Amino acid sequence: MTNLSSNPTVQHASLLNEPFHRFLGVEERDIAGETHYFMCSRTEHIGNPLIGTVHGGILASFGEVVAAVHLAKQCRFTTLPICSTMTFDYMRPTFSGELQAIPRIIRVGRRMATLSVEVHLTGKQVCIGRFIFPVAHLPNTKEVQ
Amino acid sequence: MTLPVTSLTESEINPELMVKAFFGPHHPLFSLCAIHVKAVKDGHGEMSMPFSDALADHRGALHRGMMVTLLDTCCGLSIFSALKSMEPIATIDLRVDYLAEIPPATGLTAVVDYVGRTDTSAFITGQAFADGHAKPIATVTGLFAIGTMGPSFDKNLSEPKA
Repeated sequence: MTNLSSNPTVQHASLLNEPFHRFLGVEERDIAGETHYFMCSRTEHIGNPLIGTVHGGILASFGEVVAAVHLAKQCRFTTLPICSTMTFDYMRPTFSGELQAIPRIIRVGRRMATLSVEVHLTGKQVCIGRFIFPVAHLPNTKEVQ
Repeated sequence: MTLPVTSLTESEINPELMVKAFFGPHHPLFSLCAIHVKAVKDGHGEMSMPFSDALADHRGALHRGMMVTLLDTCCGLSIFSALKSMEPIATIDLRVDYLAEIPPATGLTAVVDYVGRTDTSAFITGQAFADGHAKPIATVTGLFAIGTMGPSFDKNLSEPKA
């Protein structure tokens, strides 16, 4: 990863610009030197209106989008990697509010990358996902330069 | 193995009533996705959603996140129909394996079957299909907690009409 793009911020500025990303409302922020991702839940994200909890599919989608974007940024991929397997565990009811996703790259091998994403709400972890991405075919900025 | 105390009566097991209860009168997410219930009976559920530009990825296909949302929703309905109860449930674990990309500008159908239950949990398995394609593009397995917090979903049936 030594041959980086001259402006990686611009290089990856469009990664969160798909229509579905806008539906989720994902934002990234630098928190103490780490990139964390945030999503403010909206009415359209609610799965159980009777108690106001966010839909499990929306939470898993948030985790997967975060994992893909984070992996692309860290590995300088010029396209978003495509998840092949997702496992998502829900630990608490997730009520409305600003959700914070903290991605971790577990390992990037020659063929596969494994990431985890923790999702927190008001300081408590509400769910965690594990995502596996095939990466052997993905171009990165080192290769295209 | 006992069913929840508040099991539905025979008349309330009507799939149309169950769907109405599950979706509620004005569910913002399900309305936005235009989710349609194609079949629900005895633990088997089928749901579809049309393509939407607003929920697409960069290729002009439905984002896989919407497929996960459709699968998760269909899992819930399958469990309700198997347990013959609208007591609240919660997703505990969901695994989705992506077998193929979703074709551009194509709707999706989720087909989910209830596998079994313990006193606290229900298990499901299912598949997602792109409209017009016979082979599945994703598989799902999941674990749901049953009898969780909150009012029963059939509360929607007894709410006064606006």
